[in-house]
Amino acid sequence: MSLEVSENQLDAIIRAAIEKHGDQRDALIPILGEINQALGYIPGEALGKIRRCINTPEEGLFLADSHLYSIASFYHMYSLKPVGRHIVRYCESAPCHVVGGRQVIQRLHDFLGLAPGETSADGRWTLFQTSCLGICSVGPVIVVDDDIYGHVTPQRVSFILAKYR
Amino acid sequence: MISLTINGQTVEAPENYTVLQAAEKLGITIPTLCYHKNLSPFGGCRLCVVEVQGARLPMTSCVLPVSPGLVVQTESPAVIQYRRAILRILLTNYYDAGYKRTNGKFDLDEDNELMHWARVYEVDSRKFMAKKPRFPIDSDPNPFVWVDMNKCIQCTRCVRACAEVQGRFVWSQSYRGYKARIVAGADTTMLQARCESCGACVAYCPTGALDNKMSVGAGRADRLIRTTCTYCGVGCQLVLNVKDDVPGGRVIRVTSNTDESVASVNGLHLCVKGRYGYEFIHSSQRVTRPRVREYLLDGTPRPKERGRWVEVDWDTALNAAAQGLLRARNQHGGQAIGVLASGKNTNEENYLLNKLARQALGTNHIDCCSHIYHAPLTEGLNEALGIPAMSNSFDDIASRANSLLVIGSNLTEQHPVFGAHIRQAVLRRKIKMIVANPDFTNIAEYAALPLYHRPNTETALINGLMHIILERGWEDQTCIAKHPNGFAEFRAVVAKYTPQKVAKITGLSVEDLYQVAEILATNRPTAVLWSVGLADPSTGRGNVQSLANLQLLLGNLDVPGGGVNPLGGQNNIQGACDMGCLPELLPGYRRVADEAARAQFERAWGTTIPAETGLPAAQMLSAAGQGRIKALYLYGEDILNTSTLGAQLRRDLQACEFVVLQEILPSEATRYADVLLPGVGFAEKSGTYTSAERRIQMIHQAIEPIGEARPDWRIIADVARRILTGEGRSIRETDYSAWDYETPEQIFHEIAALTPIYAGVSYERLERGERLQWPVDTAEHPGTPLLHCGYFSEGQARWTPVEQKPLDIESSKPQELTLV
Repeated sequence: MSLEVSENQLDAIIRAAIEKHGDQRDALIPILGEINQALGYIPGEALGKIRRCINTPEEGLFLADSHLYSIASFYHMYSLKPVGRHIVRYCESAPCHVVGGRQVIQRLHDFLGLAPGETSADGRWTLFQTSCLGICSVGPVIVVDDDIYGHVTPQRVSFILAKYR
Repeated sequence: MISLTINGQTVEAPENYTVLQAAEKLGITIPTLCYHKNLSPFGGCRLCVVEVQGARLPMTSCVLPVSPGLVVQTESPAVIQYRRAILRILLTNYYDAGYKRTNGKFDLDEDNELMHWARVYEVDSRKFMAKKPRFPIDSDPNPFVWVDMNKCIQCTRCVRACAEVQGRFVWSQSYRGYKARIVAGADTTMLQARCESCGACVAYCPTGALDNKMSVGAGRADRLIRTTCTYCGVGCQLVLNVKDDVPGGRVIRVTSNTDESVASVNGLHLCVKGRYGYEFIHSSQRVTRPRVREYLLDGTPRPKERGRWVEVDWDTALNAAAQGLLRARNQHGGQAIGVLASGKNTNEENYLLNKLARQALGTNHIDCCSHIYHAPLTEGLNEALGIPAMSNSFDDIASRANSLLVIGSNLTEQHPVFGAHIRQAVLRRKIKMIVANPDFTNIAEYAALPLYHRPNTETALINGLMHIILERGWEDQTCIAKHPNGFAEFRAVVAKYTPQKVAKITGLSVEDLYQVAEILATNRPTAVLWSVGLADPSTGRGNVQSLANLQLLLGNLDVPGGGVNPLGGQNNIQGACDMGCLPELLPGYRRVADEAARAQFERAWGTTIPAETGLPAAQMLSAAGQGRIKALYLYGEDILNTSTLGAQLRRDLQACEFVVLQEILPSEATRYADVLLPGVGFAEKSGTYTSAERRIQMIHQAIEPIGEARPDWRIIADVARRILTGEGRSIRETDYSAWDYETPEQIFHEIAALTPIYAGVSYERLERGERLQWPVDTAEHPGTPLLHCGYFSEGQARWTPVEQKPLDIESSKPQELTLV
């Protein structure tokens, strides 16, 4: 279910990300994003590896594991655990909620048999609850991998998910 | 200045002030939780909201800058209502399992800041707090820090304290929304997240989510006694929390000193040793009754292994001690007796030991561990520059140095609070630090360039750096012109230490040597710091003289942020040297060999002092082994466990005819003692310590002596009186010949009268909270934070050519050593 990643692969991903975004503190979000993009999640070892590349206390830049964990755990677009092949995100915020989001969420939970943050036993699905996805005008909204679906109804859920193997 | 109005009063505040600070100026208290004046503002808890005329919503005063004409209300009905709502919201995420002992029984923690403000704003905390826990209580295995995230309100003071005070970055605020919580490292244990257990996060936590594990259920203190830490030469102020539920009281925890009228080096900061290392005070191992060997009571000859201990009353023990010492004196002369003082004793006690040796016993054989560890660090310095201590102050170095050379010092472990200041100097001011040590030390993490030279090659290293400085023309011509003594000879020696040669000796690269020289030369002032890592008996003095040469060459003496700075290991090793617990020096660094100095003390003490310099500790003990020293008086020094010469010292002590040991805990030396006099720990007596930066500070008695133990100054005086009234001993009656002290303050008066560098120091001034660093010439003198070179040498410094000694492979071998 998780992408098995070798030490060398992870090093290569981090090296490329730092080359692209720089080795300063303000590059941490895009660097973590690159890793999450490549692997679907951010392995624990990645935090220490990034720290070792960027931490330069002698120049006044102290980067600790706590800084990286703080960022990685804050953003819903990152996962600190391995994820399934397809990631389903639904919005929990008010605009979706008031136009029937609650029923969509219930249907998603029932259909996938997953609580938010869980991955299915066959490694096919991971379900995430997120804050606003930014397209409230077409709520309720769900996002599967990189595809956005608006005006979702409980009935449409199974049709949408059927496209993903 | 900006003018604004708070609660109808006009106040002028500097531009960089917040409304909260401006209100404080008027004496108006605005409630805060996430704000702490020592930490960067956060603006998260919102309790400090105020009403600002013209603003739509209440504003958080801790992050609101003052602006002209601002009209602020801090306690309007609307503000109060808002604050009550905030407290209720904070309480919904606060769960107290009721393990604090507040009024004699286990109950809710009523003493924290959140509960305080809930009471002030009449919010019923029991009603509004969470009904069940969300996290395990005591969730981290750290031995000192108690973690109960149920009481956390996400104020992030711990996160900021760890980052901005200790510089370890253990804590972060992670996750978001309802799941937001404080996490150590990458959600690991605190220790795995590199926690040093300094307890800063505990000191700053306003809710008890982080607490002192050793005393979490110990309840409220009955008394709070401020005192000086007894561990290292930094000299932090701390508060002993005393509970009077046992006769004499007991120390239940140590907290930070919050009294700002007292000058302190550390503020609220302490290290793991000062904050948590107090269990020895009430150790069950404490010696609580005097003991003498049975043969002394029977009047029989001493058995080989000294025989059985017998617990006796004080009179018997003191008489036995005095008689034994007097017998040695009467039979073999005063020079047959040795006294070993310690850098852990107070100035008053060390002064008395010095008087005991030189007046009552008539011997100059007095020393402390100084001659083993500290003297090599300061003697070379005194010879070269006429200063036997740190020239600059801790805060001066941390705030004004532009570069640092840390050599032979494991800064963050030996002097942790100062080490943390240095970390912050690198992080905030971006100063350049060179750390030279044969092994990795924690502070090297912050080094612009860490140097791992071969052990005992420091002289070559420093000579090599000076060679490059001269080659590049980076030397300070003004300083050389001012102090020309010996420069030509010095230059000739340094010329031989080419970078290539030095690289070969030290194992460093030529490029690194050039880089270090450039960093030091181009980032002045440079402060040089060193500690016992340089104190090798064969090379220590030369190392220190080389560092003095380096600072002369770069013109870093007599300037703020520069200087030569030996960091004494023990808390009062500086004081022990100041008090003349050295075989060649009288109190105040006056030489025994100097007739005028001796005459002053002879007049004061009513007796003659031998003109011959005494033996340093190691030689004193071996003289005892060879039978030349017949009796020893040891106080406060665990000599066997802190010396690398353990096996030899055991034989020496075993051979010594008569040994008096004054101690609080039995040490291995107890086996070789004939009389054991139980002294007390720092919580049970008063006196002064002198920190490495020459700062004299009070310790205050917090609890009564344990058992029959007595304050050590009293014990020494009792022994001395018995010697002086003993058979064959008479002295003239003079101003300071007597031993009739009733308080440590009387002893201190005598010290001040006889020691010019302490002349203006008094308990009264120290109790007022004055920052007094010697020399303090008069009662009006403000003390000397920056000691100019040449203080003890008529203003003159001397260049001392030092050659690298051939490496002694034997001395680099591992030695038997017990860490205590």
